[in-house]
Amino acid sequence: MLLFASAALFAPVLSPYNPLSQNLDQDLITHSAQHLLGTDKLGRDILSRIIFGARISLLVGASTVALSLLIGVGVGSISGYAGGFVDLLLMRLIDILMAFPGILLAIAFSAVLGPGLDHVIVALALIGWTNYARLVRGEILSLRERDFVHAARALGCRPTRVIVLHLLPNLLPPLLIQATFGVAAAIVAEGSLSFLGLGVAPPTASWGSMLNEGRQFLLVAPHLTTYPGIALVLTVLALNLVGDALQDRLERRIR
Amino acid sequence: MKRYLLYRAALLLPTIFGVLTLVFLLIHLIPGDPVDIMLGETASAADRQELRQVLGLNQPLLVQYRSFIINLLRGDLGQSLYERRSVTSIVRARYPATLELALCAMIAALVISFPLAVCAAVRRGSWTDRTTLTVSLLGLSMPNFWLGPLAMIIFSIQLGWLPVSGRGGPDHLVLPALTLGLGMAAILIRILRTNLLRVMSEDYVQTARAKGLSERSVWLKHALRNALLSLVTIVSLQFGGLLAGSLITETIFSWPGLGRMTVQAIEMRDYPLVQGCVLVISLSYVFLNFVTDIIYKWVDPRISYGN
Amino acid sequence: MPRSLYFFPAGFVFIFFVAACRPTHVDHPPGYLVAAIESYPLQLDPRYSTDANGVRIGNLIYNSLLRADPQSRLQPELAESLRLLDERTYDIELRRDVTFHNGQPLTAADVKFTYESILDPNNRSPKRGNLRPLRAVEQIGPYQLRFHLFAAHSPFIEQLTIGIVPVASAVNPTAPGQVPPGSGPFMLEAAESGEKITLTRNPHYWEESPPLSGVVFRTVPDALVRVLEFKKGNIDLMQNDIEPDMVPWLEKNIGADVGAYPGTTFQYIGINLMHPILKQVKVRRALAYAIDRESLVRHILKGTGTVAAGVLSPLNWAYEDNVEHWPYDPERAKQLLDEAGFPDPDGDGPLPRFRLSFKTTNIDLRQRIAEAIKEQLERVGIELDIRSYEWAAFYSDIKKGSFHLYSLAWVGILDPDILFQLFHSSSVPPAGDNRGRYANPELDRLLEAGRATTNHEVRRQIYARAQRILAEDLPYVPLWWWKNVVVKKSTVQNFIPYPDGEMISLKKARLATTVP
Repeated sequence: MLLFASAALFAPVLSPYNPLSQNLDQDLITHSAQHLLGTDKLGRDILSRIIFGARISLLVGASTVALSLLIGVGVGSISGYAGGFVDLLLMRLIDILMAFPGILLAIAFSAVLGPGLDHVIVALALIGWTNYARLVRGEILSLRERDFVHAARALGCRPTRVIVLHLLPNLLPPLLIQATFGVAAAIVAEGSLSFLGLGVAPPTASWGSMLNEGRQFLLVAPHLTTYPGIALVLTVLALNLVGDALQDRLERRIR
Repeated sequence: MKRYLLYRAALLLPTIFGVLTLVFLLIHLIPGDPVDIMLGETASAADRQELRQVLGLNQPLLVQYRSFIINLLRGDLGQSLYERRSVTSIVRARYPATLELALCAMIAALVISFPLAVCAAVRRGSWTDRTTLTVSLLGLSMPNFWLGPLAMIIFSIQLGWLPVSGRGGPDHLVLPALTLGLGMAAILIRILRTNLLRVMSEDYVQTARAKGLSERSVWLKHALRNALLSLVTIVSLQFGGLLAGSLITETIFSWPGLGRMTVQAIEMRDYPLVQGCVLVISLSYVFLNFVTDIIYKWVDPRISYGN
Repeated sequence: MPRSLYFFPAGFVFIFFVAACRPTHVDHPPGYLVAAIESYPLQLDPRYSTDANGVRIGNLIYNSLLRADPQSRLQPELAESLRLLDERTYDIELRRDVTFHNGQPLTAADVKFTYESILDPNNRSPKRGNLRPLRAVEQIGPYQLRFHLFAAHSPFIEQLTIGIVPVASAVNPTAPGQVPPGSGPFMLEAAESGEKITLTRNPHYWEESPPLSGVVFRTVPDALVRVLEFKKGNIDLMQNDIEPDMVPWLEKNIGADVGAYPGTTFQYIGINLMHPILKQVKVRRALAYAIDRESLVRHILKGTGTVAAGVLSPLNWAYEDNVEHWPYDPERAKQLLDEAGFPDPDGDGPLPRFRLSFKTTNIDLRQRIAEAIKEQLERVGIELDIRSYEWAAFYSDIKKGSFHLYSLAWVGILDPDILFQLFHSSSVPPAGDNRGRYANPELDRLLEAGRATTNHEVRRQIYARAQRILAEDLPYVPLWWWKNVVVKKSTVQNFIPYPDGEMISLKKARLATTVP
């Protein structure tokens, strides 16, 4: 059930390769039935926008998590492995960032960097990496004293090698699980950024920005939000269920 | 124990300090000049220079930072550039509203998630389990700014049960708290359920079962207590998210809270006000973390903490 | 502990039902009109308030020497008579029957104090720049005073619309919600930060006491929620900031009184005249031809605007209609672009003639307009790169001149001298708002003359010529004048809309008692 749901939603990424006109059919009509899901305020076909929006939303989700992982794993492993003062320092840094309201960071980045998809990804990644860092650090701390690590060091492996080749693979399961949830969260967070006016710039559409654009029309044209909303909810649901399933399976293996 | 307390308290200071420094840097470094926004169009360059001088904005960043910290230690958060009142009085007026909302959202989330997680864990793998998870995730996957107005339309306009927006009696709290709390409830359910399941398969629980204790008391005595512990930590972590994320809910529900004010202040580059708001929010978060750490340590001395 | 767990869901359900059964309470006293505003006023003290809602609510609490009427003409309020002794001296006689809300009579000393308070640099009033032409305020008698200017400056008269506060009013409020007492039709009863401002009727008002017992200004930030609150009956009146598509819906579905009235707020596209392509007037005219303003107003604004010819709207006394209008003509636009030396490299193909960036704020409606314009310009071969920013960053950019095109609106236009601020070559920021760096010596001369003379007819002719020049030269591409949209319950009577969204007519408005 879970795998099926997620497959169904990754499919839309494939279909935009056929040129379903994202092209702004500027009839300026809302909602007609000749367009399968209607049109938006500027006469653009909603179905096409949802399909293209899938690309953007999923891209944002995946890249954000990828970047977050990169930073988080890096910082977390250094912190966990090195220990001592370095650890203390880095953990303070993480504490500071976590105590900091994310919106302020997002606004600050948007103000400095300006609009743009890549800036959105950077902003979201910078808010979210701390979770991964903590996770990695925790695991490394507990694994650090295990035999196989001692063995590796005795053999003269450099610390980076130890981390990458020996410690990290043990982290893959929990990281993967968190990452799945992370993608879902990033997609929704992008919507929140759109609410603040800091999401993807027009005329690019992501599901989040479509929801934001359409929410003022909730009473006159609910289809503007319903369809992207359903797409978003289903995808996030699927991602979360996949994560849950992974967790169940992988946890069982560890036990 | 005492030593641990002191240790943790000592760690608080650099964290808060770091937050303050960060917010100071950020707000001063992003483009946009509050003097321009305040004086608008007709002021001359001389006027602007004058205002900058009065506000102390033309001094080098380091000097401004120093006076900021010194004033802070004296308890003076400065004056809002626009409202011309002390930041402390403004923040004091708005903070309770956010706190009220966040607390109620938290309670709502707990109340919803606890029984559901227990159900799901007990009947693990069954349809109840699956549907509970799926339904709970709905709250997490629908953005607040969509969920909120939808809830308003259904519960306030069509059913007429609740008011639309604004702060007032307990009925005004229901919709915003639910909107804010549902997302957290989903996360809580998942975590609680996992923890419960994990605990249930621990050795000492198996032993208890083997000893002949009823399933129910096994659950109650062991599983739940451990679950509660992890709950405490998660709750404190998420609370920070609630405080910061209340912004959207506050805007939609016309809730006169700190979240919305922070964003407005940022938009207008009202430096002292932004600093004050962020300070309060971060302080709450840090303090809460501190308290939960203590509780955790106190309740379960088995867990060792530290390097 | 275990048993108590079951209390949780039970307790919650209980609370829910209690809440559901309790009647949704009406949170304002009877006889009070509830108006919705989209943001809480930052400052009510008329010496310092610059935010729109602060000014509008302030105008109900305070009186000023002159006041703009619904036709945008200045009328006497506190000033019984205004005479020009010479071209730089204004002699004013005050009414004698005005008292502040605390019972004190309003005299010339209060007026003098108010203006000096603004001029005092220690008070850092944002309005100080506006009073730069003012040299001194002289009190002649208890109800007579003179304003001495440095030089003749006819637009100065607009500065006589600042609210008057009593002598010795505190510079800054010492408590939240504390403002100096005013003399206006309403008094400040309560100010709940971020939530609402409650005004109550002034029973001793020198005009007649308002029919309304009071007014509650509720802050409802989200436009959709405002509509929902209106539908629920919690709001009696709201002006503007409504999604244009909701306006017909409100009329149809709720039976609200909806009206769109002529306004003075001017929406335009600002052009950077230092840009190598945009400095050519043919390119600018092509832009004007290429944008279908009619269509934008009809579809996106849903009729809540009027296609504009220039900065000054027909409501303005100096409005000149006989200027170049630029009807929608994409063929002509293409022709001009060809003539200007920017041919379309591939005919009707996807390659553009050139690319320009278009900066806008990140408000939905503005972005939508930008996207529509982008589409229209694409049809004539110009590619637009839309960049949306949050306000402060946007503002900072356009002041620096770091833009190609941007769109913004001018609010509260009263005196045609605003053209000086916008187009005189000396008005480049930070000295003024000539962000596009427009420089036209002929226009400069006209605008300088316009503010130096006080002869009304001469001024009118000067500004007529100025408007003609601006319409031909197009440093701005004019888009439209926003209409003032008022949505109210039918129980609200006697509310007269003012062109810039003022709420002053609340002093004459009344709430009819409904027949259920």
